[in-house]
Amino acid sequence: MKKSALICLAVSLAVMVTALIMSLCGYGINFGLDFAGGLILKYEMGQPFDTGLVEKTLKETGIEECTVSVSGEEGTTMQARIPSLGSEDEIQLLQAALEEKLLAQYPQMETDTATASYVGPVAGRTLVRNAVFSVLLAAALMLIYIAFRFDFASGVAAVAGLVHDVLVMLSFMVIFRNFIQMNSSFIAAMLTIVGYSINNTIVIFDRIRENRKKPASSGMTRSQIADLSVQESLGRTINTTLTTLVTIVSLYVLGVSAIREFSLPIIIGILAGVYSANLINGYVWAAFEDWRLGKRK
Amino acid sequence: MKVNNRAKKKTAAILTLSIALVLTLLVGYLSLNGMPLDSRGLYRLLPWVPKPGNWPQSVSLGLDLKGGVYVEYEAGLSQEQIDGGADYNSLLEATQKVMVERLSDKGFSEATVTQIGNSGIRVEIPDVKDPQTVLDLIGTPAKLEFADPQGNIFMDGSYVQTASQSYDNDNRPCIQLVLTEEGVQLFGDMTARSIGQEIAIYLDDQLLMSPVVEAAIYGPVLISGEYTVETAANMALQLQSGALPMTLRQDKLDTISATLGQDALDSSVTAAMIGILLVMLIMVIRYRLCGLLSAWALCIYIIALFFLIAVIPGIQLTLPGIAGVVLGIGMAVDANVVIFERIKEEVSAGRPLIHGVRIGFKNAMSAVLDANITTIIAAVVLLIFGTGSVRGFAITLLLGVLTSMLTAIVVSRMLLTNACRLVKNPALFLCAPKAQVEKEVQ
Repeated sequence: MKKSALICLAVSLAVMVTALIMSLCGYGINFGLDFAGGLILKYEMGQPFDTGLVEKTLKETGIEECTVSVSGEEGTTMQARIPSLGSEDEIQLLQAALEEKLLAQYPQMETDTATASYVGPVAGRTLVRNAVFSVLLAAALMLIYIAFRFDFASGVAAVAGLVHDVLVMLSFMVIFRNFIQMNSSFIAAMLTIVGYSINNTIVIFDRIRENRKKPASSGMTRSQIADLSVQESLGRTINTTLTTLVTIVSLYVLGVSAIREFSLPIIIGILAGVYSANLINGYVWAAFEDWRLGKRK
Repeated sequence: MKVNNRAKKKTAAILTLSIALVLTLLVGYLSLNGMPLDSRGLYRLLPWVPKPGNWPQSVSLGLDLKGGVYVEYEAGLSQEQIDGGADYNSLLEATQKVMVERLSDKGFSEATVTQIGNSGIRVEIPDVKDPQTVLDLIGTPAKLEFADPQGNIFMDGSYVQTASQSYDNDNRPCIQLVLTEEGVQLFGDMTARSIGQEIAIYLDDQLLMSPVVEAAIYGPVLISGEYTVETAANMALQLQSGALPMTLRQDKLDTISATLGQDALDSSVTAAMIGILLVMLIMVIRYRLCGLLSAWALCIYIIALFFLIAVIPGIQLTLPGIAGVVLGIGMAVDANVVIFERIKEEVSAGRPLIHGVRIGFKNAMSAVLDANITTIIAAVVLLIFGTGSVRGFAITLLLGVLTSMLTAIVVSRMLLTNACRLVKNPALFLCAPKAQVEKEVQ
């Protein structure tokens, strides 16, 4: 395989191995409420209230991640979703601290009818299992389609590239665990990359397919054809990556934290996709075909 | 004669482009502002494309942005299950799974089902007109039993392969059951033995119907009664997803507000607007007049995509959903970029514009089709096999890809072919002639 492709592959592997070692040492993905489940605190506030203020109060009592919503006929019931706390005692301590602070703002708040109950994850095992199964099935069907339209080696290289991109995304979720949590929007981000990143590879493989038919390519090795095809597609690669990144980066810059949780993995996935499509996948195809059919084409 | 012909084509191109422009502006205006349909203002065409600070009613939003209702159930075991030593937790999980399936099938793929406490299930569904009907649908057991003329239960719902709404011989809505192979045999043998006698079908221990068997039935079973299309479809859905493994007692039903505020929605719409404008700017800088035409096609894409999202039932946009649509806008340009690069190759090789456009489209088509079809394959798989938010995502992805493929292949092509009859200068149209291009690259 071409040397540059091997180096790129080694870089990706290094990222994945780092993430793997971190996970094994107990510093794995930082799961948010959607995956880990948590507690729902319910309070009757006795009057309309400001969710932003309650959120701020929760943060002051040490709960960084929370969502506060309003319910009830008059809109006076407060429901807060917070990460699960260790023991009953801790919950009671937290509730006491929270009540004290909130009572100062909302004197009509009822503390004796409050409830705190555990909620399971929104993205439960079934949803995750189902998502993984669907993605694997989709990848298998894509492989078949590409093998049919191009050749078997292209199918394998394209789908391997897809797996690479998703693994890099997951690895960055581990490495950036202090900055980003994984919530159910990550599933959407992963699916987006599965749908998007295959396009980069296809455009380059389409060039390879075309260049191989040209008489000029008869003296070239497969790796050289891959080289040429990547170069010829470069204008498209730069412009498409630019237009896609512009929209998602503007979401990241202007968006709230829930949007950032979604857009950062996508940005990483897009970059990983461009990286693998241009620097790795074509050469994987060439190496696979060289191995299968011998160097001469 | 030839000159005359060319002038004719030019007029036709001007005419086509003008009509397209007027149509785009008109539909674009409607998509942003809507229109009253009668003079009294009773009926209105609702706007469907979002503006900053003003989300149109016609595009429904998920739990995080609009809120909805939540309900908590207490799940219990029946006496038989307790006697049989059933595993509580796995039954609770199975119950949640059936509920998610029923919700997904009804189009509430963004609803959430979670365990609460040790023995409860909490369901949150996005804003709906009549939450109780939806809750009745998901919380009802749907246990189906068939009794022979002697009143013995000989078959239950587990032999039902699929259940769907259909019409009986009198063209009334009914439920059609397709039985498993074993079920067909059981039902067929029993009907063969009981010709002229009455059999009974029970749903949740209530007599659903007691038809007189006229002939042995080895095939689909039609259950007719006082059904509307809607009730028959709901009943079929409940039968299809199987009986709920546990008995549920509805604890609380209440509304719940959005967890993310209006500012989350506003900021993402603003971000989207800025993103789209930047995309258009990049396209115009890189591809000149072609870039401008692709910006036009992009507007048509946005109008069409949001129209589909608004009219197709069962799509509730959540915040990631909106971000996905925005990202899709960035991706929709991809097909245009691939096509323009191909045209550029032809034009800089010295071909006349009109041929360059035709050949460029032809050369780009295989890449555009293959790239989109692979994405469509992924979206369809996720739509069929996914549950919950995975499915919600798949619908928007599928709509996005189909719309962008159509605008790239049909709309962009139409605009470009007509425009290159009017603008003859390649430097203005797409790129400078070859010598200059090489200089730019170096």
